[in-house]
Amino acid sequence: MPDRLQEAITVLQTRFGSAAPHSAQPDHPARPSGIAELDALTGIGGWPVGRLSLLAGPIGSGKRTIAQRSVASASREGSVVYIDFPGRLDPEFLSRFDADLGRLLIVRPKNIREGMASARVLARAGADLVCLDLPRARAAGLDAELPHLLHRVAEATCTLLLVQDADADDAVRYYASLILAFQRSAFIFGRDGDLEGLQVEATVMKNRLAAPGRRARWVMPYPIP
Amino acid sequence: MIACIRTPHPSLVAAWLTAPALRNQALVLGGLANERGTVIAASEQARALGVREGKSLNQAQQAAPDAVFQPVDTPATARVRARLLATLHAISPEVAAADEPGYAFLKLDGLALRWPNRRQLLEEIVRRVESSIAVQPVIGVAGTMFVSKLAADRAEPRAPVIVETAETRAYLGPLPIDVLPIDKDLHQYLELLGLRTLAALQAISRPAFRRQFGIKALEAYDLALGIDRRRLRPWHPPHRIEESQPLEPPIDDTQALQFIARALSERISESLLAAGLGTRLIRIVLDQEGAGPLRVEVGFAYPVTMTGEIFDGIRPRLLKASIAAPLERITVRAGRLEPGYVRQPGLLLRRDGFQESLADAIARLQEEYRPELVQRASLRQDAPPLPDRRILWKPA
Repeated sequence: MPDRLQEAITVLQTRFGSAAPHSAQPDHPARPSGIAELDALTGIGGWPVGRLSLLAGPIGSGKRTIAQRSVASASREGSVVYIDFPGRLDPEFLSRFDADLGRLLIVRPKNIREGMASARVLARAGADLVCLDLPRARAAGLDAELPHLLHRVAEATCTLLLVQDADADDAVRYYASLILAFQRSAFIFGRDGDLEGLQVEATVMKNRLAAPGRRARWVMPYPIP
Repeated sequence: MIACIRTPHPSLVAAWLTAPALRNQALVLGGLANERGTVIAASEQARALGVREGKSLNQAQQAAPDAVFQPVDTPATARVRARLLATLHAISPEVAAADEPGYAFLKLDGLALRWPNRRQLLEEIVRRVESSIAVQPVIGVAGTMFVSKLAADRAEPRAPVIVETAETRAYLGPLPIDVLPIDKDLHQYLELLGLRTLAALQAISRPAFRRQFGIKALEAYDLALGIDRRRLRPWHPPHRIEESQPLEPPIDDTQALQFIARALSERISESLLAAGLGTRLIRIVLDQEGAGPLRVEVGFAYPVTMTGEIFDGIRPRLLKASIAAPLERITVRAGRLEPGYVRQPGLLLRRDGFQESLADAIARLQEEYRPELVQRASLRQDAPPLPDRRILWKPA
């Protein structure tokens, strides 16, 4: 690329940020989710590092299971933080995904401010992945806290996952670099009638790092106790 | 060996650089002839007429009525000093400014590989100084700062005086005791005793000198023997960290301004990190279209290095700035640079020095909120299969 063109692009990027022209070739670091289908779906090989990824979908669509599986996968590599607003995290379920519980920090905040402050501090302190499991009710004050958290996440090259049952706020949808909408297609039962997994359908609603609009469907088995 | 480089008073050099026609005239610096004040510097022509530093301007005018009288241009003088030291710093980083204006010391040890011939090295110093501040320096070389300064005082342009270490005592011997930094009382006392040259002092034993003149005078005695215990304190060139961004087309909304300010903060932070520095003052200049520049200063309680800290400091000030016209350029400069000593150990960690360890972060959160906020979970294999028995929760 000629130097003058590169200079012009640098000036535009400084001024307009993500709205400025950028290379068509993706060059974004990603953290593998531990699910091959999902890694292929994001277009960059996993969850984007230093950015916010939103997992949306109705209750029972499998988004929390996917998030926990990603948490388990990341815990084998480094420190992981799970901000458990609903207080429903089951470490035993995580351990069945081969999670390293010694590297998992579980934060149980009383309110959004407390949870976001914890996420900010721990992301800056070197946690590799922070998963925010939001309460079912709409999280008031999230939109004000999110920009501060995102700055820290970007600086610390941490991956931020956000799991939300309710419809995401405009602010969350705006700040998210990747939005995946999950839908349960079917339950998978074993021969003896036990529930063995889910058939999940995922759609990329928004993707700032690769082409949006992709869809995928796969069977996600529950871990056998 | 240490070289002492002597140039005319930096104020004189600054005046000559501003007005080259003054070079051949009697020039007196310190103020105008009718002002009350003292002479700070005088050119050779003025000195030949009897003008000396420290005399009143009135006396100077009586001695040299045709001389040019000027006030000292302090910023230009500082620039000349800095330029001389920077020129020498390019030869060797072990350069120091002397207490007297116009003198600088340069340690020559370690330059033998590049300049095996010392004469060539001295010629190179003269050439560089000449091209930098347009005056010819004189050089004295000796084993210590004291002796090299005496040598420089006695050197001529293009004829440096070199005093080898073995010849130091012999060189100092004939010099009068006036060259020693001693007070008036001691000077008179020495003269009363007939000790008028350094050779006379050298002839006295150290214990005898100490008994006669006290322990405080021993420093002067050591200097008379050529022993100078002062250490050369290296001068470092000033570090300027500044980032600027032209805005084309000019902008007038604060959102875009914040965005650009953050990008500039990032670049400033990178430069600070690379030098291991922190800044306690950020100066922002906003060039406005058709209006004067807007200046914003942000002070910090401690030296900051991180992008987030810098931007968090300047953002509220930018939002409050009363911008009257679209902005054409934004310049961010880091002032009051200090070693980022608080952060130095952290610079070796991932990212930068601001990162605290995970354990510290957890402890801080637990202290700020409550111990149960951050927990770790473990499984008890031998426990009954009930979640509240099987999972052991502990504050992290």
